[in-house]
Amino acid sequence: MSAKRTIDVGPVALLEAIQHQGKEWDVIAPRYGVTNPNPPWKSSLTGTCECLSVGGTLPALERRKAEDVLADSIYREVPAPERDLLALAHILLRRGLVTESDLAERMHTVRSRLQAG
Amino acid sequence: MSAADKHGHEREHAHGHGHKHGGDGHTHKAAPMVEEITDYEVLEIAVRELAIEHGLFTAEDHRKFTEWAEAVGPAAGSRLVAKAWTDPAFKARLLKDGTEACKEVGIDWAEPTGFGTPSDYTNFRVLEDTPTLHHVIVCTLCSCYPRPLLGMSPEWYRSTNYRRRLVRWPREVLAEFGLILPPEVEIRIEDSNQKCRFMVMPVRPQGTDNWSEEKLAAIVTRDCMIGVALPRPGRTTDIHPVHKARRPVQSAAQHARAAE
Amino acid sequence: MKKDKVAKSQNGGARARFKVGDRVQVRDMPNIFYTRTQNYVRGVVGTIAECTYRDLIPEDEAFNFDGGLEQYYIVRFRQKDLWEEYPFERDTLQTEFPEHWLEPVGH
Repeated sequence: MSAKRTIDVGPVALLEAIQHQGKEWDVIAPRYGVTNPNPPWKSSLTGTCECLSVGGTLPALERRKAEDVLADSIYREVPAPERDLLALAHILLRRGLVTESDLAERMHTVRSRLQAG
Repeated sequence: MSAADKHGHEREHAHGHGHKHGGDGHTHKAAPMVEEITDYEVLEIAVRELAIEHGLFTAEDHRKFTEWAEAVGPAAGSRLVAKAWTDPAFKARLLKDGTEACKEVGIDWAEPTGFGTPSDYTNFRVLEDTPTLHHVIVCTLCSCYPRPLLGMSPEWYRSTNYRRRLVRWPREVLAEFGLILPPEVEIRIEDSNQKCRFMVMPVRPQGTDNWSEEKLAAIVTRDCMIGVALPRPGRTTDIHPVHKARRPVQSAAQHARAAE
Repeated sequence: MKKDKVAKSQNGGARARFKVGDRVQVRDMPNIFYTRTQNYVRGVVGTIAECTYRDLIPEDEAFNFDGGLEQYYIVRFRQKDLWEEYPFERDTLQTEFPEHWLEPVGH
């Protein structure tokens, strides 16, 4: 009935593929001797969440409710900052705000740009 | 519009934050970047770029909130408590109008929009502990937290485990943090479910006579200001003893499996 | 943000109904969407601890309301009144409500 009913926790192929590569911050940071407890993108993710809330697209309470469901289910094994990122992407995909193919394509473009830079 | 404007933070800008202004009480030495581009990093950028392109928000607003997120940390809260401990007139002002008093330690709850953030608002209150009253803070609904004073909330504070169990078994949960209080002390849980935001002002511990504000601030750690630890001389970091939760909350998935 | 919404003064917005020390009971109203009133306080009697601010009724509860301002309160409860067999006499919990979630109780 309402768009605010429980988030669909069915896995998203694109997001499943990102996990299980051992690239979470708590694994890779020590490998490089980087002492910052958080990955550099964490504050940018916070910025995105705040902006989505201010704009009314995804109010904070709604996002947190969906995050709770996702964190207790399919992303339970993922460490915190990565889990929040995957949860946000998952919510946006399930709400139809972005499509999986657009996201995959953009990830490809971004990676190429970063690797060239 | 340049590519940098359109896409907000590019990699060179976001990385290498060796020193966070206000950080989490520590100064991180400028540490080398991780020499690889993870899918997580790529995903974060991709989501943000698509959201901006779909008009969900602007790069400018995103930059504003990101800078705010990088600037906040618990050092401000520590300073606030230390100042209240040493200056009774300030303490009185703080208890009367928390939001206004924060300006005296350089924190303006109206940042970064002029109206605060969509989670923190502008109604800050200090919860003053006494020898017979101990406060502890939770947000059972969604983990609201006084970010302008304490920075980003720790993972355990956001967990459903903490949020569900603290209100029901506060003494057991505090014991898992290593904090055990006698029954004569009233534990008062503050469930911050609306727009007020709270921070605990612990009792100034014994053995701190004539300490400077700076030395006092160093023992007022984040966990002390949430209420899961007490400040004491020599304790300048939050280390969580690993006590397994004795009544862990079962996840919805576990319930579903059990029901099959 | 709700700053730009015009707050009209409504019947329920004129004056705070409760003051510090009043005994109140949390109503048990059906929630259609998200509410900020927790299940564990429904029907429980507590005491007004603070009057906090006046604000609009939360959007997620505005289904039956007309967008007026109302007073918010921090209400304090005994843990023994919230939970069965809570063993510690002195412990309390306090949380915040908009006025429409509270009903007065006799002394």
